[in-house]
Amino acid sequence: MSLALYRIDDRLIHGQVVVGWGQPLHITFIVLVDDEVRSSDWEQDLYRMGVPPDMEVIFASVEEAARQMASWQTDPRVGILLVGDVNTAVSLVEHAPQVRTFNVGGVHHRAGRTERLRFVYLTDDEAAKLRQLAARGVEVTAQDVPTAPAIPVGDFT
Amino acid sequence: MKLALARALLRLFAVQGSYNYERMLGVGVGVAEEPLLRDLGDAKYRPAVARGAHFFNAHPYLIGLAVGAAARAEHDGASPDQVERLREALCGPLGSVGDRLVWAGWLPFLSGLTLVGIALGAGWMAVAAFLIVYNVGHVALRWWALRAGWTHGARVSVALHNPFLQRAGAVLGPAMAFTIGAALPLTTQYLAWPFEAGARITFAVVAGLAFLALRWPGGAGHLNGLRLALGLAALALVVALVWP
Repeated sequence: MSLALYRIDDRLIHGQVVVGWGQPLHITFIVLVDDEVRSSDWEQDLYRMGVPPDMEVIFASVEEAARQMASWQTDPRVGILLVGDVNTAVSLVEHAPQVRTFNVGGVHHRAGRTERLRFVYLTDDEAAKLRQLAARGVEVTAQDVPTAPAIPVGDFT
Repeated sequence: MKLALARALLRLFAVQGSYNYERMLGVGVGVAEEPLLRDLGDAKYRPAVARGAHFFNAHPYLIGLAVGAAARAEHDGASPDQVERLREALCGPLGSVGDRLVWAGWLPFLSGLTLVGIALGAGWMAVAAFLIVYNVGHVALRWWALRAGWTHGARVSVALHNPFLQRAGAVLGPAMAFTIGAALPLTTQYLAWPFEAGARITFAVVAGLAFLALRWPGGAGHLNGLRLALGLAALALVVALVWP
């Protein structure tokens, strides 16, 4: 174990991640990969507030994440890695090819995006990027909570 | 501005009124924020209101913090991108702080206390006291959240570090467990009192077996409290019919 879930979720750290996934997976750390959050103190402060005090939150840029991926993947503790959008996920896989799965957990409505699932709204470009990711051998599925079925990429893009 | 804040507070009571999967509470947030944006001037007012109504989700009682903070950021001349990021960053913490504080704290704490009150004979007074006390806390939290957001803008995490809020969260968890723990046996005794001894013993045995059934690992995923309770209620109904 180590990183039990690689997740795309535009709300980043929130209840569904901390409680919904965190409790059944027994996680003790969260890696938040986002270049902008990495360079913003007040955003880090806010995201840290969403987790219980005994859970560690690691903020990383895509490049830092790529460098440290191996150490997280062999960490004796269990953690979750979060990115906020499809582009960051693609960029992360390019920098760190050892990332072999991505869970699409929540990408919400914004201008240009259309509904694919109740919790997934994508532009055509984002949908194409997810399919390319899958074509490169990354297992891409959509699943908001652990008790829901995982929907394969072909069924929602 | 006092009047605008009061308007926003009143509208916040309807923040869940247009809940949907596309924007969650976004439209409600936009409607509540609108009075605070009226003095921005025509060119900034419309895009700011539209931004206010984008996707948003958090605890309904604390959501005023996001409404106030976003409106303050718009007044301070934050860029559209900064306002969007502020809103995004607030969803998670406001949701989890609110869940801990209210859904897993204040509400079950007072519910337990009320049940204890009823079991000890306070009757309707306990129910009335619950409604008053709960809502005093509830409205105070909404008002504090809106004011704090409006005061701090993008630096709103200062408000969430408020020692009172931290302490309330730390105290309410155990306090909630205590009142619910006290309420369970007292309520059971209160409800079982009118029945004769044999019925009460049967009830205790059934409750004990039900508890064990819920703990039984093989039942995971199929058996939960609600299903079991419904099943037992149906069984009791059948028994009562064939054996009057």
